[in-house]
Amino acid sequence: MKFSATPSFALTAISLALLSGAAMADVKIGINVPLTGFAAADGKSALDGAKLAVAQANAKGGINGEKLDMVVYDDQASPKEAVPAATKLIEKDKVVGAVSGSYSGSTRAASPVFQAAQVPYVVSYAIHPDITRSGDFMFRVSAMGEVQGRGGAKLVGNLGKKKVVLITLKNDFGQSLAAGFKEAAAKYGITIAGEHEYSIQDRQFGALVSAVKAQEPEVIYASGYFYTAGPLVNQLRAAGVTATIIGQEGYDSEKFMEIAGPASEGVLITTSLDRDSANPATKAFLADFKAANNAGADMVAAATYTATQVLIDGLRKTGGKGGAALRDAIAAGTYDSAIGKLTFNDLHEVNKDLQVQVVKDKSFHRHSVISDPVLLAAPTKSTK
Amino acid sequence: MFFIELIAQSLVQGSIYALIALGLTLVYGLLRILHVAHASLFTLGAYMGVLTYNATGSMLLTLLAAMAVSGLSGVAMFRLAYQPILKQPPHVALIASIGLFIAAEECFRITFGASGLSFANPPLQGQVQLPGGLQFKQAELAVMGGTVLIIGILGWLQTRTRIGVACQATVSDPQMAESFGIRLTMVRDLNFLIGSALAGFAGVWVALLNNLVEPTMGSVPSYKALAIIVLGGLGSVPGTLMAALVLGLVESFGMVYLGKVLDRNAIAFTFLIVVLMVRPQGLFAKR
Repeated sequence: MKFSATPSFALTAISLALLSGAAMADVKIGINVPLTGFAAADGKSALDGAKLAVAQANAKGGINGEKLDMVVYDDQASPKEAVPAATKLIEKDKVVGAVSGSYSGSTRAASPVFQAAQVPYVVSYAIHPDITRSGDFMFRVSAMGEVQGRGGAKLVGNLGKKKVVLITLKNDFGQSLAAGFKEAAAKYGITIAGEHEYSIQDRQFGALVSAVKAQEPEVIYASGYFYTAGPLVNQLRAAGVTATIIGQEGYDSEKFMEIAGPASEGVLITTSLDRDSANPATKAFLADFKAANNAGADMVAAATYTATQVLIDGLRKTGGKGGAALRDAIAAGTYDSAIGKLTFNDLHEVNKDLQVQVVKDKSFHRHSVISDPVLLAAPTKSTK
Repeated sequence: MFFIELIAQSLVQGSIYALIALGLTLVYGLLRILHVAHASLFTLGAYMGVLTYNATGSMLLTLLAAMAVSGLSGVAMFRLAYQPILKQPPHVALIASIGLFIAAEECFRITFGASGLSFANPPLQGQVQLPGGLQFKQAELAVMGGTVLIIGILGWLQTRTRIGVACQATVSDPQMAESFGIRLTMVRDLNFLIGSALAGFAGVWVALLNNLVEPTMGSVPSYKALAIIVLGGLGSVPGTLMAALVLGLVESFGMVYLGKVLDRNAIAFTFLIVVLMVRPQGLFAKR
């Protein structure tokens, strides 16, 4: 009884090996996403986005008639899982290119592995600066944390408010947002009345909410993901805090409204997906995603869909070849994507507008667009 | 004002810790097992709570369902996982417990989805204004009241009923208790039933306060509750209650005044280490 698991594991391994053997002729790309652990919800969204891009590409004839095959590894959003996942994609599956549908910690760990193997790696929504600094085989389709933070400060300025309290998620995502916000705060006459930090496992913010309430801010700039921000916003409003709440792309999920309930109304977020966009690529993506998954798309899905498309587009140009040819093809392209028009700079980062969405009647709608090429400039090779 | 609010928030947090840690103390006192998987019964209770409330809209049914399912699952865990290895050294049970906990987390994810569940129309979300500008969610007041009530009932059961005396006798000397005709298995079943039902009860309240239940929501309580029973002097029920409240206070004040340096879990464990350096037997141990 105790050992019955072993043969079935062996069988699975054999059948997996057979399957990968059968798929030899196809063009193989890889993806690392968190499918288990704390980030599994985002991982699922990301994978749904990537799968949609692959399915659409295959429906249009794949790469020169060859089927596109995506190999998926769960990295649990953890650096120690991401490195073996990247190694397996390169050594065992021999992918020609890969996509990160994961968080900064894991993506940052995987990027040098792909760089060393000269396998182009397109990053969807991981925002740590070191990722593209790993080398020229790295690409990123999202705006970095500092850039979004600066945009957040400008949004406060646009709203005509001054007194801000920061509630920062204690990880690289939250801290880079806070750094960008503080850097630009003075420019818009913002005074920071208080700064608090919390850990990603926190869901109960009673003490922190009391402290924020005592500081009487006009605006709360709170970083987090929907599963931390939902309870946080809910608890802030329950304690009678009425200040405007500004979040970021981590809030960008329908689950946020579900968790925060009526407290979510009027919350502003800076993100890269505009639900009320007139851009045909965005509209088509929103409709296709809904049809394929029977759920609305979020930023994570849109970004991973776009990253996968960028990689596929490069493969079309090289006829399925990887390496330096693929890198150069991706770098040279311009992309009219679900998250706006993208071109890569010399560090393979993109410059784009920041979408401000507001929660109205339990869904995100366009509030404004922050367009400021100087303030929102992505880092380049020559900047730090 | 701010201090009163912080203290009140500490009590809410402390109440939840107390509910979770009590079950763990009961199990430790009885069997000397560090029951890590206890936290998965807390998660199970939260899921049952959300599912029952969304289906029926009755808070009473919600609490009953959550406590019944968690309680019975606790008994099943004891019978299937712990009872067969009771004769082994304690670390065997601890390893089994960690395995159970990880497996349960994945079962929740596979069954209920990775992104968690929320109440469609969460109850007890109204605000209560108290004198002095204090403002609470109804659920926050209910969790404090509920904890006091439950602990009162347990105290009465322990000291005033035959079954309570049987439990105490089993804790202090199982062989002797058995020779006096106490059925050990029944006492142990009952302990798991009550302790696990309390964890389920706590799960419902946490679900209400956060309006979110996730597969991984037990991961912090799994080790935080261990810290609490160590602080409380391993196996002592009053000690555990006091330790839970003290930890609630330390975390709330720590989160506000030290939050930039350490996060709340780091604060809690720093506190634990400091206490154990000064009082290795725990804060409230009798000896």
